[in-house]
Amino acid sequence: MNIYLQELKMKLRSIITWSISVAGLLFLFFSIFSTIVDEMEMLNAVMANYPPELLAAFGWDNMDLSTVLGFYAFTFSFIQIMISLQAANYGYSLVSIEERELTADFLLAKPVGRAKILTNKLLAALTGLLITDLVLWSTSFFAVRTYAGDRAYNSEILAKVLITAFFLQLFFLGGGLVISLLLKKVPSVIAISLGSVFGMYILAAFGSSFNEDKFDYLTPFKHFEATKIVNTGEFDQPKMVISILVIIISMIASYVLYQRRNIPTV
Amino acid sequence: MNIFLRELKANSRSLFFWCLFIVFFIYMGISKFSAFTAVDSDIMAMLEGIPPVVLEGLQLNAFNLTTITGYYGVMQSYFALMAAIFAVLLGNGIIAKEERDKTVEFSLTLPIPRHKLITGKVAAALVNCAIFVLVMWGGSIVAAQPYQPDEAFYQFLGMLMLSSFFIELIFLTIGVLLGAAMKEYKRSGSVAVFILFGTFIFSILSALSEDLEFLKYFSPFVYFDPLKLLNESKFDPGYLAISAAICIISLGLAYFSYAKRDLYI
Amino acid sequence: MPIIEIQNLSKYYGKARGIIDVSLNVEEGEIFGFIGPNGAGKSTTIRLLLSLIYPTSGSARVFGKDVIKHGPEIRQEIGYLPSEVFYYDKMKVIDLLNYSASFYNKDCSQRIKELAKIMELDLKRRIDDLSYGNKKKVGIVQGLLHSPKLIILDEPTAGLDPLMQQRFFDMIQNENEKGATVFFSSHILSEVQRLCNRVAIIREGKIVTLEDIKTLQKNNYKKIAVVGDGLDQARFQINGVTNLHQVDGEIKFFFKGDINQVVQLVSAQPVSDILIEEPTLEEIFMHYYA
Repeated sequence: MNIYLQELKMKLRSIITWSISVAGLLFLFFSIFSTIVDEMEMLNAVMANYPPELLAAFGWDNMDLSTVLGFYAFTFSFIQIMISLQAANYGYSLVSIEERELTADFLLAKPVGRAKILTNKLLAALTGLLITDLVLWSTSFFAVRTYAGDRAYNSEILAKVLITAFFLQLFFLGGGLVISLLLKKVPSVIAISLGSVFGMYILAAFGSSFNEDKFDYLTPFKHFEATKIVNTGEFDQPKMVISILVIIISMIASYVLYQRRNIPTV
Repeated sequence: MNIFLRELKANSRSLFFWCLFIVFFIYMGISKFSAFTAVDSDIMAMLEGIPPVVLEGLQLNAFNLTTITGYYGVMQSYFALMAAIFAVLLGNGIIAKEERDKTVEFSLTLPIPRHKLITGKVAAALVNCAIFVLVMWGGSIVAAQPYQPDEAFYQFLGMLMLSSFFIELIFLTIGVLLGAAMKEYKRSGSVAVFILFGTFIFSILSALSEDLEFLKYFSPFVYFDPLKLLNESKFDPGYLAISAAICIISLGLAYFSYAKRDLYI
Repeated sequence: MPIIEIQNLSKYYGKARGIIDVSLNVEEGEIFGFIGPNGAGKSTTIRLLLSLIYPTSGSARVFGKDVIKHGPEIRQEIGYLPSEVFYYDKMKVIDLLNYSASFYNKDCSQRIKELAKIMELDLKRRIDDLSYGNKKKVGIVQGLLHSPKLIILDEPTAGLDPLMQQRFFDMIQNENEKGATVFFSSHILSEVQRLCNRVAIIREGKIVTLEDIKTLQKNNYKKIAVVGDGLDQARFQINGVTNLHQVDGEIKFFFKGDINQVVQLVSAQPVSDILIEEPTLEEIFMHYYA
């Protein structure tokens, strides 16, 4: 419990910063929704004249910024980057920060098992991510309600999109943690988290612009693609399972690796 | 000179992996492109009927994806993003790592003034950025060969690569400034990420809404819009001036603040 | 029951040597010195005891329990002071100490105050702003605040001024008198000599010798200096003589064996002065590394 509280305390500023940024981004996007929505409707009218093959080839068939949820899905794709960055940061630095700051000796010489240390740390990180999620969830509903005007939207689907946020975070939390434990000495935290998150994002975005589905299995951004959920109203279950497997495996592997880890000498 | 060489060596591994990733990315892209050339050109012709304002608003591209030029126009957004990430991490890390790894005690007690330390590091980072772009350039040219590119393509590609280099310079100097000026190295990294992500978001918002169009001045990604480069075949002098100003001011401030600040171990 | 039992413990970092086949016992209530130069394997041994790293082969037991299987339980009664102390930034000294105390099943608040007073440590300052020596003090208080049964010190005195060193030693001796066992690693021999009952000398990962400090000093070696005109160095080349050297009219050497041999040798020489004394640990140490 003491480790959990201490970890949470140390993360507090970061949690607040991320939460505010996520909320800010959401409002920033939605503040322009009403001004561009007419333009988008015009675009839809134009696009309706084109053959569906063409639209599909460019991925325009599934992006509709003139509906509330379509626009939300678009916004959410950027929110995803942010929350992933936060999660990757937490995951990657969870134990590596102790070694970098040379505090591992302090903590590990205490009468607690490593599994317990890791559990406490993980719980603290999860709490941080959940707080960000809560902020995201509440501001999302608020922003959508405020800016939607009299446009209709399905809040159940919105909830479905929002819930994926947590899975995406778990993916990067677990992934970051495992990477940090696979390395003997850990290089810079931001380099790894930024690299992996944007790497995955680029793969996903690239896949979208060129209608390439080879990487869909690789990148979690495709496992929880908001546009797809909005269009179909359903989760992309087979791909979600991949992510969930990755999460489970990475968590188990982390415990095993941490248990056996040789702490580098000061 | 010794600092320059040491930094080059220290960064060579990471540079190598980045280059590997770019080459892989280009290869991946071009193999996808080959499928596009098969798309019926009649359909592509219809594209031109869409009002460009709308396309721009959607941040979808008006590049004709069935031509190699159009393809690289689309790829540029990814190239630029990768170059920016590479540069901001490099710039920030090359300064901040000394504190992170507790080596400041060593490097700052060397018999050289601090500005020389920065000069050596920045020079090494510049070489890294240049190599990054050259690999991207070379890889692109090789990948384009099967599609018999014309002279205009090479010119366009050259401009794209120069854009990437300019974007690198901007983010590199911002990264260096953050690393040199901020007391806490951990925070300087986070701030670098925020700036990168913020400018990326700005580039999207500025295209999306006229009310937020002014944001384009804050986003280097907009300065070198590939579509504009294709249509006008020259860099926008205004944006070039802004870019140069950002680089010079950042670097100047970096020298200034690093020379004065306290370093903690 | 020995407090620490190390059996054939080896640790390799990849191919690089950490320690090789180290075996030793530390008995309850003793102050055990562990000496060797930098890189000999002192820290590796300590880190193995704390299960910060895992052995390549062999085993170690503390309080009769395997260090890997019962790590947390054992560490409840261990106080550890690492050679370099770094703590979470943005924490005040008292926050860190309270955090540290929260791991042990006892109330340590009184003890923190006592120890901080002895070490003249300002509890309200932020750890980032502390000097190296002051951080070290935080480490000492942190290591002792739960009155551990086993105190492990890894080159503890570096960074402390002589006055603080003295207080630190007094504290350690005090703890020892109250029943704590101390495992004291150092490369500074005079402090080991001052405190310890037994010492192990480690060199290039292997234990070179393990002896009672008095045996090590007294029973083994004599440091002999002979002064006289026309002394013949070659005549002192007998069994048991080491480190023989001559400076002008003075011959110096270490001797281990029957002292009568030396007395006879000396009496046959034109000697003007003779000095036989106990070698310092320093000299014994140099001898082992010669």
